[in-house]
Order: sequence, then structure tokens, then C-alpha cells
Amino acid sequence: MSNVFARLSDFVNARRKVVWLTVLVLVVAVLVIVLTPVFLIMPFKAQTPRVLAVSYQMRRWSPLLTLAAAAVVLFLAIGLWVGGRWFSRIALAILLIPTLAATWLARQNHFEWMFNPLPSPAYVKAADASFVNDDDRVLAVKIGSESVAYPVRIMAYHHLVGDTVGGTPIVATY
Amino acid sequence: MWESTVDGRVLHFHLAGINNQNFIMRDEETGTWWQQVSGKAINGPLKGRQLKPVFHDEISFAIWKREAIQGRVLKPDEKIVTKNEYAPADWEAHVGKMRVVDGSDVDQRLTPRTLVAGITVAGKSKAYPLSALQKQSPIIDVIGSTAIILVLGDDHRSVRAFERTMDGRRLEFLQKTEQGTSAPLQLVDVETNSTWDFAGRAIAGPLAGSELKKVFVLEDYWFDWRNYHPGTSIYSLGPQ
Repeated sequence: MSNVFARLSDFVNARRKVVWLTVLVLVVAVLVIVLTPVFLIMPFKAQTPRVLAVSYQMRRWSPLLTLAAAAVVLFLAIGLWVGGRWFSRIALAILLIPTLAATWLARQNHFEWMFNPLPSPAYVKAADASFVNDDDRVLAVKIGSESVAYPVRIMAYHHLVGDTVGGTPIVATY
Repeated sequence: MWESTVDGRVLHFHLAGINNQNFIMRDEETGTWWQQVSGKAINGPLKGRQLKPVFHDEISFAIWKREAIQGRVLKPDEKIVTKNEYAPADWEAHVGKMRVVDGSDVDQRLTPRTLVAGITVAGKSKAYPLSALQKQSPIIDVIGSTAIILVLGDDHRSVRAFERTMDGRRLEFLQKTEQGTSAPLQLVDVETNSTWDFAGRAIAGPLAGSELKKVFVLEDYWFDWRNYHPGTSIYSLGPQ
């Protein structure tokens, strides 16, 4: 193992500038691919089909790309750390934090932080639904002989709820 | 509201983003992005596909309970209740005052946050401002070649629409119950003098037992309706 570190250190120290540049480029790339869709898809901003297509591709590939980039950055950082002085070690630590944070964020759905999903929705009988006022609005569906009401005040938070009504799998949306 | 099955596979959806104030959902199975209001796949492997709509109403709880006492009601999540994050009872008034994104007020025939009952029949769309219905109900209209009727419920807020052709004959309707009373709404058709309820069923008279074909009503803000139905016309009341 120490042999591996020694060889990594030799490799990196022979070309420290290029390695530093590579690390910087990768860190910036990781941040760009993760943060761009977050900024493009904001509630009160206008989105175009192009913006959505770019965001989709970034969201789609960022889990894989951030992981690969973070692995390379970590690997090179070890090499730089071994032969590095205290200030380059601090710089490395500062670069690693956002890289790892972005790699983690690429695997999160921040919209579900804002609006928690309802993975196992519960229901009550119409007569027992004391949490709904008479003049509250509901989305009402009837398939076959089964009727279901989704109160709009609940739906306006979760936005979507999966269900099976009258044997048909549906997604109620608001 | 959409059927979750595409090509025989049941998809599981998550909130995934927002597109000009209408949310995007992502399915777990393929990662495709779907637009909530249209049910259309906008990005990803299933791009271009369309979810099958599920007919539904947006009505007040009192009216629903009257019609579906055996039904079930989605229960709030206690965690969200504790955090007090569900919409308050008067949230509609708040949302009505929220701003809209730049560029969504291109069609200034109505103000962006005007509530409309939107109807599409045979590819033709028409928006009925809720305020028009609150002044005059029922509204008897024809979209393309389809004769329809829009009715405001006795809660003065819920809207339903039906095709009003029965056995090849177009029916004209009048409201039987007085506006402003809390009695369940009833309509009467001029042709046969049958009585109809808010669910579109004839409950008395020669046509008793008949049912009008329901027409889907999307209650939406004008800017959002206009965004997804660019060719829409607008209903306006005649001189009062």
C-alpha cells in the first residue's frame, strides 16, 4: 500500500501544476453540473424547453459524473497532500468539501425537501374526515364503484399522491 | 389526475421540478420528466408519450360527501400538520395574489390570475371565467359542434360541465332551485321538463334515470390555461 502512495506521490510531484489544474477544473465541473439545474428550475423563474432539456441532462448524468470526478479528485488530492506544504493542504481540504457536498446533492431531490412526499398515504371514511371543512375543495374521482376525495389543501403541499382506485393505478396531482 | 400505467408498467412519480409555475414529475422507473398539467413526457426516455387522463372533479367537500358518502378521503400526514405546512383554509386568496413569471402575461384578454373553468372538446378549448359563472348559471354553450352546459354548484364555487345532447336532441336548461339557497342544486330542461341534479342525472320527469355525459373541467389560472391551450377562446357574458 505504501508503495502505491509513493508511486502516486512521485507521479503527482513530477507534474504538480497540471494536477492542480485538473483538480480545479474537476471541482468547478462538479459544482456546475449540480448547481446549474438548481438555479435554472426555480419557482418564480421562466423556463424554456431548452432550459428544461439541459437541466434534465444534468440531473440525469450528475450522479454518475460527480462520483467519477470526486474519485479522481480524491485520488489526485492524496498525491498532492503527500508532497504538499501546509497551505496546499488547506487548499485541498477547501476544494474537497464542496466536491463531496455536490456529489451528495446530485443524489438528493431537493424538491422533496421542500414538499415532503406521501409514500404511504392513509385514508378515512367520508363521515370520519373531520379534518376537512365543508367548503374546502377536494379533487374527486370515481372509478367503478370506488370514490375518493383528495383535499386540495393537502394536495397543494404534496402535489402528487399515488393510489389505486377501482383497480386502476393512478397519480392524483394538483 | 393520470393513470400511472405506461406500456403495461406502473410508474411511481416524484416531484422533480417546476416549469413556469406548473410542476414536473419524474418517474422512478425510467427517470422521464412529465408535465403535471398536460400529462405529457417532456424529457427523458418516454419523451413525447402522454399519460391517460383520469376523469375527476374539483368540488367542495360538502357536495362530494353528499354524492359519495361511502367514499374515502386522503388523510393529512401528521408530521406536516405538526409543522403547520399544509395550506391554510384561505390559501386560495393568497395564491391569487402571487406574482406570475415574466412573460406569462402575453395574452392580456384576462389578468394572469383570473380563475377560469377550462374546457377542451374535440381539440377546441374555451375558458369560462369563474366570475361569469357566478353571475350566470347554468351557461348554455356550443364548442365546435358540441353542445355543452356549465353549472355552478350550490356552494357557489364548484363547476361541472356536461354535454347536453340527449338522444339526438339538444336540451336547454334552467336552474330550478333559487340562487343563494343551500338546497341541493336542481336544473330543469325546457324540452321535457325533467329535473336534473348537479351530478348530471335526471331525477324526475320523462327523462328520469338518464345521465348527461360529463365534460372535464380544468380549474386553472388564466396564464397557466393559456400557456397550455394557446388557441383558447374566452366566454363572455352578453349584455346584462
